[in-house]
Amino acid sequence: MSNSELKHHDYHLIDPSPWPILGAASAFTTAVGAIIWMKSLDDGDGVFGVTGWLPFAIGFTMILVTMFVWWRDVIKEARVDKALTPVVQIHLRYGMIMFIMSEVMFFVAWFWAYFDVALFPGAGVMGFEAREAITGGHWPPMVTETDGGYFKGTFDPWHLPLLNTIILLTSGATVTYAHHALLKDDRKGLIIGLLLTVILGVSFTVFQAIEYMDAPFTFGGHIYGSTFFMATGFHGLHVIIGTIFLAVCLVRAIKGHFTPQQHFGFEAAAWYWHFVDVVWLFLFVAVYVWGAGTPVTH
Amino acid sequence: MRNRLKGGQQNSAVFKGIGSILASAVFSLMLIGVAHAGNGQPSPWQIGFQEPVTVIARQIESFHDFLMIVITLVTLFVMGLLAYIILKFNEKANPVPSKTTHNTAIEVIWTIVPILILLVICIPSFRLLFAQYTFPKADLVIKATGNQWYWSYEYPDQGGMSFDQLMLRDDDNNPIGGPDGQPRVLAVDNFVVVPVNKNVELLITASDVIHNWTIPAFGVKVDAVPGRVVRAWFNADTIGTYYGQCSELCGKDHAYMPIGVKVMSEADYGTWLAKAKKEYASSEPVGKKSGDTQLAASVNASTNR
Amino acid sequence: MSTQAHAADHHDHDHKPGFVKRWLFSTNHKDIGTLYLIFAMVGGTIGGFLSMGIRAELAEPGMQIFSNPHMFNVFSTAHGLIMIFFMIMPSLFGGFGNWFVPLMIGAPDMAFPRLNNVSFWLMPPALTLLIISLFVEGPSGMNGAGVGWTVYPPHSTSGHPGPAVDFAILALHLAGASSILSSINFITTIFNMRTPGMTLHKMPLFVWSMLVTAFLLLLAMPVLAGAITMLLTDRNFGTTFFDPAGGGDPVLFQHLFWFFGHPEVYVIILPGFGIVSQVISTFSKKPVFGYLPMAYAMVAIGAVGFVVWAHHMYTAGLSLDTQAYFLAATMVIAVPTGIKIFSWIATMWGGSVRFPTPMLFAIGFIVLFTLGGVTGVVLANPGIDRAFHDTVYVVAHFHYTMSIGALFTLFSGWYYWFPKMTGYMYNETLGKIHFWMLFIGVNVTFFPQHFSGMAGMARRQADYPDALAGWNMISTIGAWISIAAMAVFFFAMALAFVRKQKAGDNPWGVGATTLEWTVSSPPAFHAFEKLPKVK
Ligand code: HEA
Ligand code: HEA
Ligand code: CUA
Ligand SMILES: [Cu+2]
Repeated sequence: MSNSELKHHDYHLIDPSPWPILGAASAFTTAVGAIIWMKSLDDGDGVFGVTGWLPFAIGFTMILVTMFVWWRDVIKEARVDKALTPVVQIHLRYGMIMFIMSEVMFFVAWFWAYFDVALFPGAGVMGFEAREAITGGHWPPMVTETDGGYFKGTFDPWHLPLLNTIILLTSGATVTYAHHALLKDDRKGLIIGLLLTVILGVSFTVFQAIEYMDAPFTFGGHIYGSTFFMATGFHGLHVIIGTIFLAVCLVRAIKGHFTPQQHFGFEAAAWYWHFVDVVWLFLFVAVYVWGAGTPVTH
Repeated sequence: MRNRLKGGQQNSAVFKGIGSILASAVFSLMLIGVAHAGNGQPSPWQIGFQEPVTVIARQIESFHDFLMIVITLVTLFVMGLLAYIILKFNEKANPVPSKTTHNTAIEVIWTIVPILILLVICIPSFRLLFAQYTFPKADLVIKATGNQWYWSYEYPDQGGMSFDQLMLRDDDNNPIGGPDGQPRVLAVDNFVVVPVNKNVELLITASDVIHNWTIPAFGVKVDAVPGRVVRAWFNADTIGTYYGQCSELCGKDHAYMPIGVKVMSEADYGTWLAKAKKEYASSEPVGKKSGDTQLAASVNASTNR
Repeated sequence: MSTQAHAADHHDHDHKPGFVKRWLFSTNHKDIGTLYLIFAMVGGTIGGFLSMGIRAELAEPGMQIFSNPHMFNVFSTAHGLIMIFFMIMPSLFGGFGNWFVPLMIGAPDMAFPRLNNVSFWLMPPALTLLIISLFVEGPSGMNGAGVGWTVYPPHSTSGHPGPAVDFAILALHLAGASSILSSINFITTIFNMRTPGMTLHKMPLFVWSMLVTAFLLLLAMPVLAGAITMLLTDRNFGTTFFDPAGGGDPVLFQHLFWFFGHPEVYVIILPGFGIVSQVISTFSKKPVFGYLPMAYAMVAIGAVGFVVWAHHMYTAGLSLDTQAYFLAATMVIAVPTGIKIFSWIATMWGGSVRFPTPMLFAIGFIVLFTLGGVTGVVLANPGIDRAFHDTVYVVAHFHYTMSIGALFTLFSGWYYWFPKMTGYMYNETLGKIHFWMLFIGVNVTFFPQHFSGMAGMARRQADYPDALAGWNMISTIGAWISIAAMAVFFFAMALAFVRKQKAGDNPWGVGATTLEWTVSSPPAFHAFEKLPKVK
């Protein structure tokens, strides 16, 4: 921090930065781009006569660039300016905890949608006549004549989903192993732990993709597929983000950025990963196992 | 700075001013319930409910009269305290401020007393709510379906007789005083007709977006939600014509899909029914969609409790 | 940041960065607060203009200014969204929060200054998206999203095939992201940057109010984001969350929306509660009465606020038991709110009370918010809400709490802190004229709506039965008075900047005890280079 000579406190005052406004501009481009893209699906007319995915891709790329330069600055401030005093590290901890809390509430929305139908699949006291016609009044839904063929059965939870559960649990262990190694200043252990975690994260995603391709139901058209793909898909997205986060930590570990005293970047990644892990357990129990009924595939 | 110092005294006088304006406003609210007007529709400068014609609507009104007293007293109490402060504790009258910041007794009182008031409110409130959801044995079932932007009705017990109810526009059929002698915006082409003093059960749903079926004079208001069939009931005890308006935002003509119900004597109802059966028997309501028959079939299974 | 590091090397107390760096790349809480306030003025002006459109249309029965009633819906939708998301929230939470949370806890800045700036800069794009939505197709052949600020499906899905609703949804996404990020920032700042001696139980109540508000946003906003994301996929990817044809349920959206929406109304009012506490204490020359109950009442309002959402859905076909529960839960909120009202009164009691403009707004707030609050208690009874739901009685209720409650606290805070923020004193006489005109204007607008609502006038309708003409004309006249009041406000502000009458560090005297009054007016670019000590 350039004006550190003047400071009489341990806080980190940041110089003006162009990245926030760039980030906002990127978000705007992405939002408009997303609408254009969505309105171009199924031969739509787009918006303002513009069609296609390009505006979205541009906006999204801008976001990625912003994130890169922004976090590059953060890392530089930590390493070169030594700005991350103990109190600033506590800031970051609070920040990360709050962020994860907000993410939890995001998942509340998907689980709410899921339980809304899973607990009340029939007409019941609320008069869900149309729903009963689609689900047959059961959860998981019955294959009915009115469901439009969008639903043909559920997954066997003890197949790929179980494997993925084991993968995620193991990855939780490996990231903890890495943490312990880091605390003991065992850089090799750290790198191996992180590498294993990243590999496990990637394999989770691969298996999830395989599973998706096999699904006997679709995202659109039927409430089963909608709730299933939204919840697991959003989780999958978080797995990918977490994996990237861990991969960045891996690179930083290889470069020797972390010390037993100061390694918040790593810790944040680990917290995030545990959060993703816990959400999966809920998904596994509520959606895959409890919501499985009689499996039809495999 | 100069202005500020003078402000103190001027304001106390002015505040007496607002005090009295507000007090009279709040008192006028208290009159509600006394000042009734016109049957089945709003009337000019009305400040109360429309004349209630069901037991439930009367219960709503008397509960509201009670609530009005409570909330008026609460508001006046707060205003009175403020007026007192403005008079007694302004800078002039009380140059040296006290330093009191705690008084456990009074803090307990202003926690407990509101709790008690609320408990007292809860009793008639629950009674009213349970009364609304105590479904008597139905003498007549009517199914109402909201469509953009009209209602369709079915009398399932009368051989599935069904018809649509559309607003009459000014230019449709226009004698002086509004279409067909009915009030503008509320006027409808076909009325729902029910016999007086009979339990009418409503089955309410919608075909496209959410609408809301209401007749203020009956104390009934139910969202018409696509995919759901919701039950409601009323028993109107006064012969007359009653209007309501769709009360859930449903698009462009949300203001133009009124609800009109005629309550008739048993005999008149019989005459109407005979005629209506002929007239409406063949006509399929415009809004009828394929899913609907299925809904009607399973409707009796659904209870709203 | 290598490019900036050089320029920033010679940075001292009063050396401010150049225009672009100072305003576009800002990492200074006061500058960002100022940006938020300017933004809120723009939002409020657009929102106020839209409300005039609404009132002009409703002035008389029949269609007045719109040829297509859909345009009326578009106006009221945009009015509601803009007033809430782009006027009240950016001013009370973003604006005053940024300015005064760090000053009041003795911190040199916010915990994450760069994050703070992106929170602000997400707002103009969000507003832009919302404005664009007015000019693109909504329902076939018509422009704009006429869905209400509540965006209920299926009207917002199958009812609006054009992109207008997508723009509105993404506007909410960006505004929501901004709120979540700034909440994280406020919580961290408040928990972790209090100056030595400033324990949680010594924090000014305004800071407490911001803390609770931040938690409400942090926990409620993501649920809205989830709900509108599902709306987006229902619209564009054929999912059926809210589509009964695929087993979904429109009422699910209402649950999700109001799980956010009810906490949101406390997001709107809690910062105001904080402001009023500071103002009342200052001008009574007394510390706040019952400080701890005041703080924890806000916590209680926030907590209970999460379990009352379905009182907005009494007519949506909830079961009897559900309605009974929400009736009881909703009533509970009146208790902590009552504690606040009575503690404010007790703060003034025995005080030596002065009545400059901020105090007028605070007292006006107490009276009128009580009026709005007690009509809320009426609505909390499902039995009676059956009569009032979706009538303009509800419109009267929420304008008493928002357009009078929250707006009055906004002006209270504005006049209170204006000398601190700008260093200039405003003209008291004009301030008072502004207060009285607005006071009369909003009451004349919204009080008669209780009557028309009782008589059965439905809300969100461009036209109404002729019998309701009287009260509606009065309402519209009230709205013109409010607009005239706003003209006085903007004139008074312009005048203050022309006159440049110096305010001094503490223009309010002995009652003003919080830390912001110990620094210069306006405060140095970095106030508290040295942390202040609190006993
Ligand atoms: C700032 C915003 C704000 C605030 C603070 C409130 C506060 C309250 N609101 Fe309001 N409300 C809205 C904004 C707000 N509301 C909005 C925007 C809508 C409509 C949304 C839409 O549909 O578009 C709405 C709608 C709304 C409804 C739904 C109506 C309907 O659509 O049918 C209900 C029903 O319960 C309700 C209840 C309450 C209650 C009980 C409170 C309580 O918190 C009030 C508590 C305060 C007091 C009671 C006064 C002070 C207390 C005392 C002096 C103590 C003594 C008092 C007693 C014992 C009674 N509100
Ligand atoms: C805080 C929120 C807020 C505010 C301030 C207002 C202010 C006003 N509103 Fe409303 N309104 C809503 C929130 C608000 N409103 C909402 C949520 C709805 C529901 C929408 C829906 O149905 O979906 C609604 C709906 C609504 C309706 C009902 C439409 C209908 O259902 O038919 C009407 C009709 O009269 C109306 C009128 C007005 C009027 C005349 C004002 C006037 O009081 C305006 C005068 C005030 C100003 C012009 C002040 C503006 C402020 C500034 C300029 C900021 C200054 C900034 C700083 C000091 C930093 N509004
Ligand atoms: Cu139908 Cu509003
Ligand atoms: Cu609410």
